[in-house]
Amino acid sequence: MSTQPAHAVQLEGLTKRFTARGIDENGGRRRTVRREIIAVDHVDLLIRRGEFFGLLGPNGAGKTTTIRMICTLLEPTAGQVRVWGHDAAKEASAVRRNLGVLLMGERSVYWKLSARENLEYFAALYQVPAATAKARISELLERVGLTARADDLVERYSTGMRQRLALIKAMVHDPPVLLLDEPTTGLDPQAARNIRDLIRHLHSSEGKTIILTTHYMEEADQLCERIGIIDYGKIIALDAPQSLKRVHGERPVLRLDLEDITDGVEPALRAIPGVTRVVVQPKGANGGGYEAIVHLSDLRETLPKAVETVSRAGGRIRHLQLVETTLEDVFIGLTGRTLRD
Amino acid sequence: MIRAIAAVARREIVIFLRYPGWVIGALVWPALFPLMYLFASRALAGPQGEGMETFTRVAGTANYAGFIVVGTTAWMWLNMTLWSVGTSLRNEQLRGTLESNWLSSSPRFLVMLGIAAAHAMNFIVFLLVGVLEFVLILGVRFNPNPTATLAAVALTVPWVYGLGMAFAALVLLFKEAQAMVFFVRGIFLVFAGISFPVAVLPDWMRGIAGWLPLTHSIEALRLALLENAPLSLLQANLTFLAWAGGALMIAGYVTFQSVDRLTHRTGSVAHH
Repeated sequence: MSTQPAHAVQLEGLTKRFTARGIDENGGRRRTVRREIIAVDHVDLLIRRGEFFGLLGPNGAGKTTTIRMICTLLEPTAGQVRVWGHDAAKEASAVRRNLGVLLMGERSVYWKLSARENLEYFAALYQVPAATAKARISELLERVGLTARADDLVERYSTGMRQRLALIKAMVHDPPVLLLDEPTTGLDPQAARNIRDLIRHLHSSEGKTIILTTHYMEEADQLCERIGIIDYGKIIALDAPQSLKRVHGERPVLRLDLEDITDGVEPALRAIPGVTRVVVQPKGANGGGYEAIVHLSDLRETLPKAVETVSRAGGRIRHLQLVETTLEDVFIGLTGRTLRD
Repeated sequence: MIRAIAAVARREIVIFLRYPGWVIGALVWPALFPLMYLFASRALAGPQGEGMETFTRVAGTANYAGFIVVGTTAWMWLNMTLWSVGTSLRNEQLRGTLESNWLSSSPRFLVMLGIAAAHAMNFIVFLLVGVLEFVLILGVRFNPNPTATLAAVALTVPWVYGLGMAFAALVLLFKEAQAMVFFVRGIFLVFAGISFPVAVLPDWMRGIAGWLPLTHSIEALRLALLENAPLSLLQANLTFLAWAGGALMIAGYVTFQSVDRLTHRTGSVAHH
């Protein structure tokens, strides 16, 4: 019986440097220069067995390079990658056997083959015994609702169907670790929800370790137990989504929809201890009234005071909303960029 | 290992068959390509075939049609290999499926071998169709020695596919196939005597022709297929082909592994 490692993925001092060519126009003379780019900079990361881990970062932050090093497509300049206890540099084949990877989405399967032919092909490449493969392929097709179309050419599938196929292709050899690179990108909301449900099931019912990258913050927030945010090649935050929001998130924000206002409301709000910032602005011609955005340092003590102060200053509150800190806020706060930048 | 190679070969053949244009091309091309050389030969032979005497003396056979179809078919074998095997990895890269293959636990060179095996099987069909067309449509006469023919074909396979695999790796690296294919096949087209006897070439060109494995494959196949030559008569050609086959297979493997290591280091497998 094979022993199961405590950590599904271990990154130690993982570094990747590339040499890029550029044009230098110093003193009016153009010449080609080489410069070194550090894409991943001494990243240490432990992903526990059975964990649902999200790796987030803006474009060019080092996320894709890290993923490619984990799945043995790219050699690190320094440091070590271990997947399911196997060293990616010395046991690349064993790493690939224990890793199911969804890269390139729907383009990672052959469109001139049927779903079944694709899965049979990749099962053979992963050396899954023929009888085992047959049963597993039927089960996977059933699970993603492709059984009825299993023998149609993939070129006749919708994007969502192809993405589902690409996902089960990554699972055809039943790996304990799944690395899913933007599995819901380009899908309609229903198709994306189906994929998310499937991934959630793989984690909760089958105990798969899942490493997810996504451009959708809500997706990461919903699915991941822990999130690593990478920027400029370094992991700059690593924690559960709730903890990230608590530690790195903005202070609570109160949105007041005011029917009426007097000149005294804004200064009165500013004067409340615990209010860090106030912005009052007209709501526009259609809605009428005003909107006050009030940043608070402490919600419990400051909220009642804010409401009372507005009333006392002659303002009439139509609606009150506490704006929750999102992962997107955390991300922007940490990187200064949105995920799609 | 065998299963992985067979799976790749099967995939290649199934995809090939799903492009009807490719299949039709493979059926038409063998008969079409030699025609321009055949008609050029008839024109050059003169109205009463006066030039045939000179041709027979230089080529060692009066069967000029057979002489041409063997030469052109051998060249087409190489040409098709460069286009199909040679561009296979690049096509996978453009399609987006290369990484799916590279991520599997099978050694990557097996994928290359599977592609070569599929092409070899395709070419056998192409060859059989070609022979039928040559005999039935063009009236070409063959006088084969089966053992010698088999030996000549068997010893042509390693160098053709060794070159194809090296080519595939280089195309993956440089991301450009056309210029490389035109250059390599052009050299073989001019120097290997596909439609004329090598003996008519100037001395310096004959010297180069002697180092090209295609020249030896064509010579051996012409002797075996048209002249019923025994193995002993092919010995010099076959010995050269054995060495060339070994060398180019090794070159194919080494080039593939080197490019794989390089792309692994630079990450260029993901660059289109």
